[in-house]
Amino acid sequence: MSDALLAARPAGPLQGLRTWWTMLKICLEERLVYRGDFVLGTLMRFLPIVTQVFLWTAVFGATSRGDIAGYTRNDIVAYYLLTMLTRAFSSMPGLAGGIARSVRDGSVKKFLIQPVDYVSFLLAARVAHKLVYYAVATIPFALVFFLCRSYFPPIPDATTIAAFLLSLALSFLLGFFMEATLGMLGFWFMEVSSIVFGYMLVQYLLSGHMFPIDLLRTVPTGLSGVSLADVVHWLPFEYTAYFSSAIWLGKVQGAALVNALLIEAGWVVVMAVACRVAWWRGTRRYSAFGG
Amino acid sequence: MGRYLAIFLTFARACLVRDMTFRANFILECLTSLGWMSMNLAFYLLVFTYTSEIGKGTGWSKEPFFAFVATGLIINSVVQAFFMPSAEELTEMVRTGGLDAVLVQPLDAQFLLSMHRVDFSSLANGAVGVGLLAWALGRMDHAPPAVAWLLYPLLVLCGVAILYGLVIMLAAATILMGRNQSLYDFWFYLTNFSRYPAEIYSGPWGGPLRMICTFVIPILLVVNVPARVIAQPFTGESWIGVVAAVVAAIASLVVSRIVFQRALARYRSASS
Amino acid sequence: MHNSDPAVAAPVAEPVIRVAGLAKEYRVYDKPEGLAASVRALFHRTSRVVEAVKGVDLEVGRGEFVALLGPNGAGKTTLLKLLSGIITPSRGTATVLGHVPWERADDFRRRFALVMGQRNQLWWDLPAAESFRLHQEIYRIDPARFEKTRNELVDLLGVRKLILQPVRELSLGERMKLELVAALLHEPEVLFLDEPTIGLDVVAQHTIHEFLRDVQRRRRMTVVLTTHYMKDVAALCERVVVITRGDILYDGSLAEIVDRFTTHKIVTLDFDEAPDRSLIERFGFPCEFRGPQVVLRIDRTRIADVLPGILGSAGVRDVSVEDVPLEEIVAELFRADSRAAAVAEAAR
Repeated sequence: MSDALLAARPAGPLQGLRTWWTMLKICLEERLVYRGDFVLGTLMRFLPIVTQVFLWTAVFGATSRGDIAGYTRNDIVAYYLLTMLTRAFSSMPGLAGGIARSVRDGSVKKFLIQPVDYVSFLLAARVAHKLVYYAVATIPFALVFFLCRSYFPPIPDATTIAAFLLSLALSFLLGFFMEATLGMLGFWFMEVSSIVFGYMLVQYLLSGHMFPIDLLRTVPTGLSGVSLADVVHWLPFEYTAYFSSAIWLGKVQGAALVNALLIEAGWVVVMAVACRVAWWRGTRRYSAFGG
Repeated sequence: MGRYLAIFLTFARACLVRDMTFRANFILECLTSLGWMSMNLAFYLLVFTYTSEIGKGTGWSKEPFFAFVATGLIINSVVQAFFMPSAEELTEMVRTGGLDAVLVQPLDAQFLLSMHRVDFSSLANGAVGVGLLAWALGRMDHAPPAVAWLLYPLLVLCGVAILYGLVIMLAAATILMGRNQSLYDFWFYLTNFSRYPAEIYSGPWGGPLRMICTFVIPILLVVNVPARVIAQPFTGESWIGVVAAVVAAIASLVVSRIVFQRALARYRSASS
Repeated sequence: MHNSDPAVAAPVAEPVIRVAGLAKEYRVYDKPEGLAASVRALFHRTSRVVEAVKGVDLEVGRGEFVALLGPNGAGKTTLLKLLSGIITPSRGTATVLGHVPWERADDFRRRFALVMGQRNQLWWDLPAAESFRLHQEIYRIDPARFEKTRNELVDLLGVRKLILQPVRELSLGERMKLELVAALLHEPEVLFLDEPTIGLDVVAQHTIHEFLRDVQRRRRMTVVLTTHYMKDVAALCERVVVITRGDILYDGSLAEIVDRFTTHKIVTLDFDEAPDRSLIERFGFPCEFRGPQVVLRIDRTRIADVLPGILGSAGVRDVSVEDVPLEEIVAELFRADSRAAAVAEAAR
């Protein structure tokens, strides 16, 4: 797809927009080809949450405490549903692998020759993909959230919602730049998949995908008064799933919220720069070795 | 019979040779499955810092729960190693006409299509499972009675048989539909329900779900029965579970075979 | 063209393959094109019924070498799949070696072999030698006999050096030869070949032709071969069954095809120098001028009358009278048939 689009692409912002619109339409068509799959597939992705909900209900049932790390049972259910949403923003399937592959098979060369910025191109493509995904997944998501509305606390105030949306946008960028940077490692390493796998593992544990990061507050590190949750707070991982959900549920407020948003934005900048530097140095190295 | 065993060993040997040739890849795959597993174990350890039991009065405290998890690892690793690889290749075989070649040979098609490929790296999880089981049982206050030790391997095999039947039925669906959803995804969603002790499914939604997953698609019998036998006190009631598991295993094998034969009879074959 | 070989005796009375009214229909779903159609396809999919094989009758005797000749999509592969039991028919009956193929009895499957061009039944990851050993187990071949047969076949095709390499590393031609070895290890009585020479170079094609001819003769196998190459047919078979769009158009010997389906012969005249065109054209036959050579298509019935007159023309140095090439006859057959189909379709 990228070949055809690049071939048809003269310079100019209007043309860029038109190219992007074509990209969008192609994504939509691709989605619709697998007709049965996407409706069923989206709903199926909620199934593992069912098991988690039952598990947590049983956990709460066995303890006498009303909440665990500040989460009631209902909070936890709402949390898992929200992370489905937040991860829909930050997950970038195939991004790192795709970049590494295009380095390996040489198709990245055309981006070195043509006046197209590879990173911007990828970003635009991802935005298209995501928009299509949201368009198509809105109905199943809305259905599930509506059915489960009793688990949610009352809708938060406007400031919280604003912070929520901001964190979502940042998590999209964060996820993108982290995976893109990993993909750029393909300029130096033959097998990027092992590195990506390691990243996925850490993400799985520390992004809040499996459990709210607050649970790590009781896990000690070597340093006194510092829990594992505090350490993870400074790492980028929790901002791809946990953070936005926690905002909506009111678990992060006031000054702590602002601080966390700054950390998230900071990481976006760091990873965007890292990505850019990796691209710049990678392409220099690539040309030196004559692809 | 002996012929089938000899043929299976030829396939297994070829896969082992290939894995040892691409040793780095093999090790990587072992580490991959071990990686995901350790993340989950870390999660369970974390949960147990907040509670002493999963479900009030169910008896699934820390050590029995880990014995449960270990049993799940063992059973799933056997299925992942011996049956899933061949089943996953089925879509490809239908597409390339490899299935045609199988149908022409005087050998049971179900055997060939479910057992011609072995993924030894999946056994890594099973090995860890055995170790985890030993650790958990060692730390429990009451040791399982002799009858439990005897029944456990049998019940593990029943669990494998129940899952094998499900794999075959999914394979039959692949043959009929040509491609469509990835077999592996469906498998993940289905077996996800059996990750935890059946007791967690209680209440207005949980009760019926537990019934369906015990009597209709008996995935809850797969891990629960052997785990309960070895990690919970063995009473007269335990025998109900044992019988249920054996019956379910036989039913699973019989029904899946019938379904599979029907699917083969209606095979369309990619035309050329 | 392949001449009748006295070593191939006339087929024995009891037919090995008997097909009556065999038909196979498929339901095919239409693929949507474009965005609007894709959305519509979510709710309603149109389909149509394709008749791959339309009520075919056929009988093949023991030791016959039959070609199923037809263009792509004619139904010849479908027919072969019905006869090997891979698919079940929509209507009709068939027996091969007294068995109903789609019942897939082990006794039946042990007596025939199927080789499909460009598709493999050898296990991809194993070296061919291992596949052969598996074959021995699966077909329950006596070990001593297996050794003898395998060595014989391997040497005949000259692939001894290849059998220890993993099959996926070999070229198409090499793989095809190994497939043929594997297929014949259990000494089948019936051999089905589906486009065995497709994609192969000329040398490989020739080797395989020789091999098949030799092996078929020695073992008195009944062979049914599907192909759209006339070369295969001319080299191997006496009997041709022409199939288009699921129907048998013609069933008989190669020699008869020429007789039945051509109306003219090709007369090539060599002149001392390029002749005057009008001199030739006045005979009224289609002619092609190639310098000092003229190629005419003359009605068979009129050749005897017309030829003396033409030969009498000044400057004729040499003349040859030939049948229309088989390729042309068959191609014209297919074209005529699809034209008739288009007309029928338009009339509907």
